[in-house]
Amino acid sequence: MNILHEFEYFKPKSKKEALELVKSKGSSAKVLAGGTDLIIQMKEKMIKTDAIIDISDLEELKGIKCEEGKGAEILACTKLVDIEFNADLKKKYPALTYAVSQLGSNQVRVMATMGGNCCHSSPAAETPAPLSALGAKVVLASLEGERELAIEDFIHGNRKNALKEGEILYKFILPEPVKKSACRYGHIGLRNAMEIDCANMAVNVELEEDKATIKNVKLVMGSVSIKPLVSEAVPKVLVGKKLTDELIATTGEAAQSEAKPISDVRASAEYRKDVIGALARRLVKEAYEAAKEA
Amino acid sequence: MKKQIIKLDINNQIYEVMVSPTDLLVDVIRKQIGLTGTKKGCGQGDCGACTVLIDGKAQLSCLMLAIASEGKKITTIEGIANQETGELHPLQQSFLDHGAVQCGFCSPGMILSSKALIDENPQPTEEEIKHALEGNLCRCTGYVLILEAVESYVEALSKGEV
Repeated sequence: MNILHEFEYFKPKSKKEALELVKSKGSSAKVLAGGTDLIIQMKEKMIKTDAIIDISDLEELKGIKCEEGKGAEILACTKLVDIEFNADLKKKYPALTYAVSQLGSNQVRVMATMGGNCCHSSPAAETPAPLSALGAKVVLASLEGERELAIEDFIHGNRKNALKEGEILYKFILPEPVKKSACRYGHIGLRNAMEIDCANMAVNVELEEDKATIKNVKLVMGSVSIKPLVSEAVPKVLVGKKLTDELIATTGEAAQSEAKPISDVRASAEYRKDVIGALARRLVKEAYEAAKEA
Repeated sequence: MKKQIIKLDINNQIYEVMVSPTDLLVDVIRKQIGLTGTKKGCGQGDCGACTVLIDGKAQLSCLMLAIASEGKKITTIEGIANQETGELHPLQQSFLDHGAVQCGFCSPGMILSSKALIDENPQPTEEEIKHALEGNLCRCTGYVLILEAVESYVEALSKGEV
């Protein structure tokens, strides 16, 4: 009757014990954070594992620190629902809390974690694009110590990331948003909830003192490449300029020129390209307007 | 595979069950404990039929290992009616009064997701109710009636009628 491949179950009681287990079990084990991706993959026989290391209830890996002027730290096993409804995060990083609110369903967000969403490293994941646009870093922990990586260097490709044997994703570090900047997130899927994005995007715009000239822009696309795609073309179009309708149109084309989507059950590559253009035009405008008020 | 005895706290009752690590909570609740109000739909976390409350929050028992649920407070649809009198929970009654039930397969999940929301936010807006219920699918297209049933309960609650 068992539909899951047999495995041994471990529930470490501390971060240290978790790290010891992750090291001793090596590639024979999988880490369970929320299970909303892992258990499905096990049911689908995409993953066969001999051991599960359940860190879902490890309080040492949960928590949000978000103080005025000091950015934020989100521990990897923090449940998505706790991020979605955190008032301080919502105020400072609305693009991230919005992206989280659009992931899965309420039940999924109660169970799933941001660490899991990033470690699963699906090209269609919701949180990597806004995290990258916001300049977030991840801290990976092992018994040997910790190392820090930019989120876009952490995710290497479809289901591939920088985690080495013996390492877990420990926390996210978000820098304090600079003055006169704003970040916005958008996505297109086939329905409102429980969909997998056919494309998503986050745009962070920073303005000069004049509140009109674009000083910096970071546009990150999801689900159109094997990993979150940071646009190189869009900053070339926008930096040093004041936003006009013509520039908005060029921005859409620039993002489209870089996107390398595939056709699959969710959308054709052609449609995804259209979506990328639309998202880029919409989000650049929204972030620009919001940055004026920031 | 090594089976072990675990204790599950379901509807304020402790059940000792023999499980293997691979056993999913939904199967243990339905087959070993015999509480079949919790439904098994897609088995992928998409439909919400298997929703139970764990420590008061709506979660998917088809993606939860039974062994990982030890030490938590689990509430199934059977656990929200009055245990002594058998009287339905006013939210359940509201579903009946509004005809928000057709085939009934989604109802336990719908009711538990609504309950989790209202326990935390007794005055949710229509948008908040929709957001909280977006992980519960109804294939009899009864969403309007379901929404009305939840809103009516919220209103009764605010007037102190229930």
